[in-house]
Amino acid sequence: MSMMPKTSDPTADAQASAAETPPTALEVRDLNFYYGTNQALKNISIDYQRRRVTAMIGPSGCGKSTLLRVFNRMYDLYPGQRAEGEAIFDGVNILDRSLDLNVLRSRIGMVFQKPTPFPMSIYDNIAFGVRLHEKLSRSEMDTRVEDVLTRVALWKEVRDRLRSPAAGLSGGQQQRLCIARSIATRPEMLLLDEPTSALDPISTARIEELLDELKQEFTIVIVTHNMQQAARCADQVAFFYLGTLVEVDAADRMFTNPREKQTQDYITGRFG
Amino acid sequence: MVSIPAEQPSLDVSPIPGAADEAFWHGDRLFRLIVTGCALLVLLVLGGLVIAMGVGGLKAFAAFGPQFVVSNVWNPVSNEYGALAPLFGTVVSTLIAVAIALPLAFGAAFWLTAIAPPAVAEFVGSAVQLLAAVPSIIFGMWGLAVVVPFVAHHVQPFARHVFGHTPGLRWVVHGAAFGSGLLTGGVVLAIMVMPFMTAVMRDVFMAIPPMLKESAYGLGATRWEVMRRIVAPWSRTGMIGGVVLGMGRALGETMAVTFVIGNSNSVGWSIFAPRNTVASLIALEFPESPAGSLKLSALMALGFILIVISFASLIAARWLLREKSA
Repeated sequence: MSMMPKTSDPTADAQASAAETPPTALEVRDLNFYYGTNQALKNISIDYQRRRVTAMIGPSGCGKSTLLRVFNRMYDLYPGQRAEGEAIFDGVNILDRSLDLNVLRSRIGMVFQKPTPFPMSIYDNIAFGVRLHEKLSRSEMDTRVEDVLTRVALWKEVRDRLRSPAAGLSGGQQQRLCIARSIATRPEMLLLDEPTSALDPISTARIEELLDELKQEFTIVIVTHNMQQAARCADQVAFFYLGTLVEVDAADRMFTNPREKQTQDYITGRFG
Repeated sequence: MVSIPAEQPSLDVSPIPGAADEAFWHGDRLFRLIVTGCALLVLLVLGGLVIAMGVGGLKAFAAFGPQFVVSNVWNPVSNEYGALAPLFGTVVSTLIAVAIALPLAFGAAFWLTAIAPPAVAEFVGSAVQLLAAVPSIIFGMWGLAVVVPFVAHHVQPFARHVFGHTPGLRWVVHGAAFGSGLLTGGVVLAIMVMPFMTAVMRDVFMAIPPMLKESAYGLGATRWEVMRRIVAPWSRTGMIGGVVLGMGRALGETMAVTFVIGNSNSVGWSIFAPRNTVASLIALEFPESPAGSLKLSALMALGFILIVISFASLIAARWLLREKSA
């Protein structure tokens, strides 16, 4: 992370030049979210920087996972859930009703709290998403599968059993497979909803290393309960509380010198 | 059992110390005996049924041996009985029923779980359960009044017109257009078992972790793709369980089938020809079978075979359904 250019002056965010601040991949403006009549997010405005890791932290029920699920319109599956406001991705408001969700979801991938291998072979787990959007020849698909499995450091472990069921992998391997599956459709953005909450420390460390690799290519948004994880992986950290965005800042500033008292209390473990 | 001290002033609420406690424990013991008896009675009746059928059928089994299940003679005059025709009719009408009901149940369950708005799904789900509650005699009358003429006037003429000269298939559609026959029986049975299959499939579809479905949607899959590639494979054993459960019901169904299947003791290729089933044969012949006759024994033997087949399918269904819930 020390490799990444960071502005040193805490007040410089607004006037930072384009060269210093990475361009914005996703721009959220005045976003409100409702579960029926219950408002879960209130006037959220936040920028997600391209090819950076943004961590969203906050106590349970603060709305961070809800916000994440807005970005690939997962809430659309459930009647009664709705979002208002703007979330501009590549010049388009992704909240637009007429948007092609299948295309959106191929461009914004998601990984969940628990590994969710599909009931099929390791190979097909990867190929499933690719086949939905691209017509690849057999050898092209083989190459794609090998490529993404290599990038999540899983290739050596599974190359001899690509045709066996994915359910036979360990939890950490399954989660890496799920990440591989998400990046196989070549998205621009990767949403991770507490991706290591069901994993042991060693598997967690491997996923975190992986994030560092992946941000060379993808904009990453990660929801986490683990403050150390946010500090280790993220370039930018956003703190949510009771449906509002309390503070968003570069990770090193957030953890050393937060602007808000609430943030300070949370990251020092006084509540949450 | 816990022993209660006879003398304990602080707990003494009855005029005679200790008497209430004793009565209480006596009552408890009695209650235990009664409910244990109720449960055992179920086992006893079940065992009794199977044994009664088996013993009743012994005479026929002894007289015809293995020949009983491969002979399709049913001749009360010469006192010769074989089970082949009713077994054939039972199995084929059940297979037709499953072939029709399976896609219907799958579609209905898919619609109920993935497409319908929750309020509508609840309403239609209740309607499906109501369909399951319709007495079978109603299906019998409906079958005779509606399905039989429809098959006679439309389905069979059409099938004969289309397949009447196709090698192989022409025998399947062969025969006079009576309307009552294997296919009609299968159609009525299909309507009867479909609610059960739908209910089971809906349950297994709903048992899928939402996160697994979201993962597939998250990759840009459509509802149909999620259904076909994720939900269906995940719930395959459960669906087979539902099918077998429906089969079990179709195998033993009596009245509705007796009304529409034509009741002819024969075996053949045509799905339009009148046949019979184990249950329909028993229903029709039993009143005309004198006690102690070989015919009665043959019917008992048929009943025994039917019980065995039904149990086997139910056990298979249970086993398949348990596999997934573990």
